[in-house]
Amino acid sequence: MLRLCDLQQAFAEAIVEGTYQTATAAMATDGMALRSVALYRGLIRNNFVQVLRITYPGLHRFVGACYFSVLARGYIKHYPSTSGDLFLYGRHLPAWLQRIEAPPLLVELARLEWACHEVYQAADSVPFPPDRFQAMASADPSRVTIQFHQTVRFLACSLPVHRVWQALQPDASPDVAIGPSLPEEQTGLLVVRSGGAVRVIPLGWLEYRLMEALSGGATVASIEQQAREAESGVDFTRLMTTLLQAQVIAGMSLKEGV
Amino acid sequence: MSVQHPAPIPAQAGIGLRSHHFQDILDAPPPVAWMETHPENYFGEGGAPLRILERIRSRYPLSFHGVGLSLGSTDPIDHAHLHKLKGLIDRFEPALVSEHLSWSSVGGRFFNDLLPLPSTAESLDHICARIDEIQTILQRPLLIENITRYLTWRDSPIPEGSFMAEAVNRTGCGILLDLNNVYVNAVNFHLDPFEFLDAIPPEAVQEIHLAGFDRYGRMLIDTHGQPVYPEVWGLYEWAIRHIGPRPTLIEWDTNMPPLAVLVEQATQADAILGGCHAAAL
Repeated sequence: MLRLCDLQQAFAEAIVEGTYQTATAAMATDGMALRSVALYRGLIRNNFVQVLRITYPGLHRFVGACYFSVLARGYIKHYPSTSGDLFLYGRHLPAWLQRIEAPPLLVELARLEWACHEVYQAADSVPFPPDRFQAMASADPSRVTIQFHQTVRFLACSLPVHRVWQALQPDASPDVAIGPSLPEEQTGLLVVRSGGAVRVIPLGWLEYRLMEALSGGATVASIEQQAREAESGVDFTRLMTTLLQAQVIAGMSLKEGV
Repeated sequence: MSVQHPAPIPAQAGIGLRSHHFQDILDAPPPVAWMETHPENYFGEGGAPLRILERIRSRYPLSFHGVGLSLGSTDPIDHAHLHKLKGLIDRFEPALVSEHLSWSSVGGRFFNDLLPLPSTAESLDHICARIDEIQTILQRPLLIENITRYLTWRDSPIPEGSFMAEAVNRTGCGILLDLNNVYVNAVNFHLDPFEFLDAIPPEAVQEIHLAGFDRYGRMLIDTHGQPVYPEVWGLYEWAIRHIGPRPTLIEWDTNMPPLAVLVEQATQADAILGGCHAAAL
């Protein structure tokens, strides 16, 4: 008779590796043991496919249920769940798609959907008070930095994947055609949550780089200077307006020792 | 948040709260006595799900039905998970909190399924120690639910009903009696469902689950994707007569129908609850 921990381990090996001899030897001799293991393997696999389908609805719609199931099964095999909190499951799907050399569009779509998934459940944000903003406007911009809400992600993509993502949304017009390929084009995306819904805002590439630098702790003055010096020209005021309208600013502070 | 129903859940029918029905429930709150949800669906730090749950909680008593604690696992208890659960309990004050008498993980690997424990003295000691620890941290009694199983462990000398009764006796936990699970196990393994029902202490049953199953060949699978079957309604009538009226949940997780279908099933459960109660007077 196996100890409980050994029995659970043996069952896990039967499910994961298909090495079922120890587990089935611990089951009743009613002729159902092998069928039981197969049944549980199928149920567990289907449960995880379903979890990934919920987290990556656009990818599921884009590649279809059959191919999505193939991709998901491959992922499940390589990335077991390590938590009872299923919000965390699927984090590595974009990296895994890249590793198996899936088409770049699938990789980028998965990256965007994981960002949306994180933003959807991130901590609620408190709007930055206008009076605080006005107070900071008179401060030395070479010391001012901006902090962003947790409901914001900046995403650099090698393709304009947001076009495909938009077309895959349930409320998208059915007339929008989605091609199998997109032109290679560096694209910056701002993923934000407002009113409970996730929005994806495309940005010009330089605009994106400047916003990302801001989120990394660059001062307002340094971003303003980079915007001014950029050959293609970036309107700094417009950039700040975009951030304010998207309500992504959590706070502003003065950098010490500058 | 203003809590309007801090009282215990009444011995009436409720429905499972699923995101599929969020908008319908907010637009026209259905005439059911209470709702139950999986707390893990609200483990995110913010966003729409938590706000929606607040709105629903302000109108209905709530029950939490956990699926991720892996109660019977021989791995250490996942305290991060448990503390997230505790945070939600403190925030939403559910009248009942339940988990499954099963295991879902080993060696740090989670299977997202409810796996059966062998009914041995070792399992009993183990599960009771875990229930004790969880109840201490949550500072409230837990209900444990009987699961469906699709295998039989050879060394399982303690009958399932006696196993649950002893867990109740040792830990003071309650029972969430899932009658669909009782029926599915009875059919799949040629068991007498009343042997199980007779073995559990009636006073410990604080909630009942009703759901539907699907057939795969000769096996019944607990999919929660169909209406309650007549045979399960029959067990329910028996249970209400012998155990007494209890809060009863219509559980539906796959193949989701319109909200009205769940409400209709809840009405059917209420009729049985009311009928049995009237007959007893």
